[in-house]
Amino acid sequence: MTDHKRSSDFLVGATVLIVTAVLVATVLWVKQADLGGRKTDLVVRTRDVGGVALGNPVVVRGVRAGQVKGIALGEKGWVVLQLSIDKAVEMPSDPVVLLVASSLFGEWQVTIAEAAGVPADRELRAALAEAHTTGDTLAGAVLPDIAQLTSVAGRIAGDVAQVADRVQIAFDDRAAKELRESIRNFAQLSAELAKTVNAQSKNLDRISTDVQDGLKTVSAAADNLNRFSNRVDSATSRGELQTIVDNSQHAARELVTAATRLREISDGLGRTESRLSTAVTRADSVFSKVNSGQGSLGLLVNDAALYRNTDSLVAELRALVADVKKNPKRYINVKVF
Amino acid sequence: MITAVGRVTREWVSSVGRGAHFVVAVLRATRDFSSWRGEFTMHARILGVESLPIGIFIALFTGIVLALLASYSVGDLVPPYFVGTLVQKTVTLELAPVLTGLALAGRVGANIAAELGTMRVTEQIDALETLTFDPMSHLVVPRVWASMLMFPIVVGTAMLVGVTSGWLASLGLLDITTPQFLKGVRIFFTEFDVRYGLVKSASFGAAVALIGCRAGLTTQGGAQGVGRSATRAVVISAVMILVLDAFWALIWLTGRTIR
Repeated sequence: MTDHKRSSDFLVGATVLIVTAVLVATVLWVKQADLGGRKTDLVVRTRDVGGVALGNPVVVRGVRAGQVKGIALGEKGWVVLQLSIDKAVEMPSDPVVLLVASSLFGEWQVTIAEAAGVPADRELRAALAEAHTTGDTLAGAVLPDIAQLTSVAGRIAGDVAQVADRVQIAFDDRAAKELRESIRNFAQLSAELAKTVNAQSKNLDRISTDVQDGLKTVSAAADNLNRFSNRVDSATSRGELQTIVDNSQHAARELVTAATRLREISDGLGRTESRLSTAVTRADSVFSKVNSGQGSLGLLVNDAALYRNTDSLVAELRALVADVKKNPKRYINVKVF
Repeated sequence: MITAVGRVTREWVSSVGRGAHFVVAVLRATRDFSSWRGEFTMHARILGVESLPIGIFIALFTGIVLALLASYSVGDLVPPYFVGTLVQKTVTLELAPVLTGLALAGRVGANIAAELGTMRVTEQIDALETLTFDPMSHLVVPRVWASMLMFPIVVGTAMLVGVTSGWLASLGLLDITTPQFLKGVRIFFTEFDVRYGLVKSASFGAAVALIGCRAGLTTQGGAQGVGRSATRAVVISAVMILVLDAFWALIWLTGRTIR
């Protein structure tokens, strides 16, 4: 009986302790309780907390960095939030706290952001400026959630409804007639405008075509220029241009040499011409004399008888030469002894 | 008819008065610590430790069904992590205490009523009284306190198992990842959820034990009387669990929000 009792004691005690320990550990784990002192606290003051509740996540640059640890009413209409943040989290410079709805299902979160990066909302910035303090307490403000936006939208819808009512009141038969007239005028105006546009559209089409052609030409010129540039670039890169320049220099030098020689030849020709002129003059003088019958040649040229005598003499000389060749012994008699 | 209404009212008030008198007697007998200390752990073992498998079994399937039900009910209308929220809240606040309480009402209540009823019809209790042993301090008080202590243990285990099985079901049967499920569990979790469930279950344990003890001690007749007492104990315990559930909800949840 005693053993049974003892085993009962042990069993019950172990069960109670184990279940209690596991339950407590689970609760602490789910609550993400800070058992190792790895968290630090931040204090935020704001005029309102919106839908933020204890345990809501604290987010830095979109990453969960802690949770809301406490919410309490402060002095002078402020609400003081206590945030538990991981010590390792690097806070933004000049941090401010935005309380925002994180979903449409009533979830809220606390976002720590840089003051310069908050939305450009005048009321929000004014609220943050009002909550700003010189101490370690951060300034906080609530971003409008969907309910507030819906409320604003509802108010706008109400205003629109009022305007519609007023329009309905102001829109009597006379106004309707005038409106119909206006619409008719507007229709005519539209038709005329359409005609004008139609007429001008052809000009515009033509201009557009011309511009298009011009652009094509410009494009082709640009292509040519581009090809030329490429060739120049290619020639430059391969050293051909340098070769061409060298060859050109060489050709120029040869041209200079040729010009020099040509000039010398020209000078020679000038001299030859003067000589030739002198010779021609002399020849002219000779020919004049010949024509005038001066000298032997003149007489020969101008005196037919003389010419015939001379011709006859030449003929006799030929006969004599021929006879000499034929009968040399008749004329040449060589005797040694 | 008026006489009948009066008689019923008198009997009802009388039964409530007897019940209150019984509770006061138990509290008074609790002071006799030395009398019931020795019996406490044995009853804690029988009523609590040996009831753990039932609680675990119920919670195991409850968690799975809840995860599937949550996914089926809300579908794509809400983010998937709300399955975790629903499982955690429902298991912790309601299903683990009430379902386990009802199951234990059958087991513990019937056990106590049958045991004490048998002792009553076999005049063992009369013998104890004859020997100047107080049946309240020797028989009732250890059972009541053991039940009151061990019910939260069983229910706490059921909470753990229920949420864990819901998590495993979400992983295995639904397209929900562990981070999503944990996000859902954590997002609206407060330790009040656990405290509420455990306190409620302690009250269930006390009620089941008190009702069982009273049914057993008031047993009349033979084996049939014992059977009737056991049945009455189970039925009244089940009803009382639901009444207490509503009572605690009215006391603690009225006007309370998640904040």
